[in-house]
Amino acid sequence: MNTTKVYVTDTVVTKPGRARDFVDAYLREYVPGARERGMTLERIVVSPPIWFPDESNTVTATWVLDGAEGWWAMTWQGRSDPAVRRWWSGVDDLVAQRTRCTGAEVSDVERLADV
Amino acid sequence: MSSGSPMFEVVRLVHCAAAGGPAADRLRTELGAAVSGMARRVLVQPTLPGVRNGGDVLAHLRFDGAAEWRACAGAVDAVLADPGITHVDGAEYDGGIGGFAEPRAPGSVYRVLLLRVAPQTPDATVERFEADLLRMPRYIPTMLSWRLSRVRRGIGSVPWTHVWEQEFTDLDGLDGPYLMHPVHWAHVDRWFDPECPDVIVRDRVCHSFCENDPA
Repeated sequence: MNTTKVYVTDTVVTKPGRARDFVDAYLREYVPGARERGMTLERIVVSPPIWFPDESNTVTATWVLDGAEGWWAMTWQGRSDPAVRRWWSGVDDLVAQRTRCTGAEVSDVERLADV
Repeated sequence: MSSGSPMFEVVRLVHCAAAGGPAADRLRTELGAAVSGMARRVLVQPTLPGVRNGGDVLAHLRFDGAAEWRACAGAVDAVLADPGITHVDGAEYDGGIGGFAEPRAPGSVYRVLLLRVAPQTPDATVERFEADLLRMPRYIPTMLSWRLSRVRRGIGSVPWTHVWEQEFTDLDGLDGPYLMHPVHWAHVDRWFDPECPDVIVRDRVCHSFCENDPA
């Protein structure tokens, strides 16, 4: 078993007043499918921790995967499923901007690059 | 590292009918005859297990220039009009930016990726994408040569915009370091990942490879 963890981080700046709607939709509609693709949800952080009625929040969701192999297995499943891209398009009215980053713990950097 | 090639290149990924399709050796003979005296390189090989949308036979032709290709393009098209051929993806392109590892050595696997950058992608974004692809060889020692080219004419599923081709040490060098190095999955792949907002390659790509003939 590959013990090197790979982290996928969604950082979403929500439209003003829409953070709670985004988090609800993410948990209800996105998370179950992501778990089926092998992703483990570590945490979702809301910043600042206030449900602003008229300002943006930043929502950060951190996922854990089992190494590069786990990442490829996840992404190939997602790419062949048009529902995944439809979901992201469907939350456009809640999202001002977002990024998705993939990384690892500092102690694993050399190991991951030693292929 | 070289910065360009004056050659004109042609790739064809040939999908054959499950029964009755032409064998690679027959296509090699017929394509070789079609480009005889014109092509500097004629690689026609069955694709290897693991290709994605990569066809059954891969053909890579190299010419001194577009004029030489035009002189025999009709004959090549005639060969590929075989009723046992069900689909062809392909690209015609001036050799783009490429290079090779030192000490220079031929790779036993030739790999080609056909991709289409989405229309209306800003030029600056395309240039960042191209720079990311060209950054990969420094991290992947099994990639012995590489070239990224913009397509003059693409045929098949979509109008391909780029050809990203390499020679690898062997099949393990493609399946292992190329796919598993984080420069691929944690950096470059965001351009291809429909879950990433950076995505610009939205159409299915052709990932094809075969035994190389470095001659």
